[in-house]
Amino acid sequence: MGRSKVISSTSRKPRKRTRLTESRAPAVSVAPQLEPGAPSDLELMKAIQAEDADALSQLYDRYNGILKALILRVIHNEAEAEDLLQEIFMEIWNQSKNFSSQKGKPLGWMVTLARRRAIDGLRKKQAYARAEERLQNETEQQPDAWAHNATEEEIVLSDTRDLIRKVIVGLPPAQQQAIDLAFFQGMSQREIAAKTNTPLGTVKTRLELGLKKIYDGLKELRGEL
Amino acid sequence: MSFKEFQNQSRLYVIGALEPEEVEEFEKARRKFGKKAEDYIGECYGLHEAFALSLRPAKASGAIKERLMAMVRVRKEA
Repeated sequence: MGRSKVISSTSRKPRKRTRLTESRAPAVSVAPQLEPGAPSDLELMKAIQAEDADALSQLYDRYNGILKALILRVIHNEAEAEDLLQEIFMEIWNQSKNFSSQKGKPLGWMVTLARRRAIDGLRKKQAYARAEERLQNETEQQPDAWAHNATEEEIVLSDTRDLIRKVIVGLPPAQQQAIDLAFFQGMSQREIAAKTNTPLGTVKTRLELGLKKIYDGLKELRGEL
Repeated sequence: MSFKEFQNQSRLYVIGALEPEEVEEFEKARRKFGKKAEDYIGECYGLHEAFALSLRPAKASGAIKERLMAMVRVRKEA
């Protein structure tokens, strides 16, 4: 697929109720809105699979901020996050043929890949201890990172992000913390229990309840977008 | 394991929060429920997307994109 095809592709109209077109769209997927006429993520992925570098450039412009935020949330180091971001987009280019729209959305695939790489990096590097210390400091200053961000008035959130965040910050803080440690720090239930000095069964319950509420909340959100 | 229990475990599984002994049990149930299980796990991966979208974007420097695209050009020419 050439550049012209990617550029000229049409896609979803913004700010309207949209119905995802793929037959096996993930039920909890809440995709960001695109400009009118912009190629969809799937169209860009197909172009990348056909080695269209311009499509990768567009995908980068669209999602570098989201993926870098995710990486930063895991490794807490700006320079390392940027290096890793570059490696991840290179992996997206190299591994694009492994992406299948039957298994999910391009953004979900990229986030899963980025999270795995970031957590691997966190575990491998000696900086783990330093990151842990920084995380500890941040946790003490901002017990709830999601809620803290939600109250920053200077940040103009997109509707999508705002809605997702509303679902997450609606959880009890203990459930948010358990999910945060599991998802962004890659911790097991036992590690979370040890870190938070909480019984293992309580951690499991917090994760189960919190994830179910988010999952159900996101399904409802899809009807609002 | 009932399918409802499997659904609970699936949400933990996709974020990597199942303990090793739970994974074994989960994989057994996954085989038992077949396509229904795979479909549900696929849906749960949407949680990854949502967690990423919940964060405030942190725009990368322009130099990173330049380096990336230079590497892609080299790879294409190789």
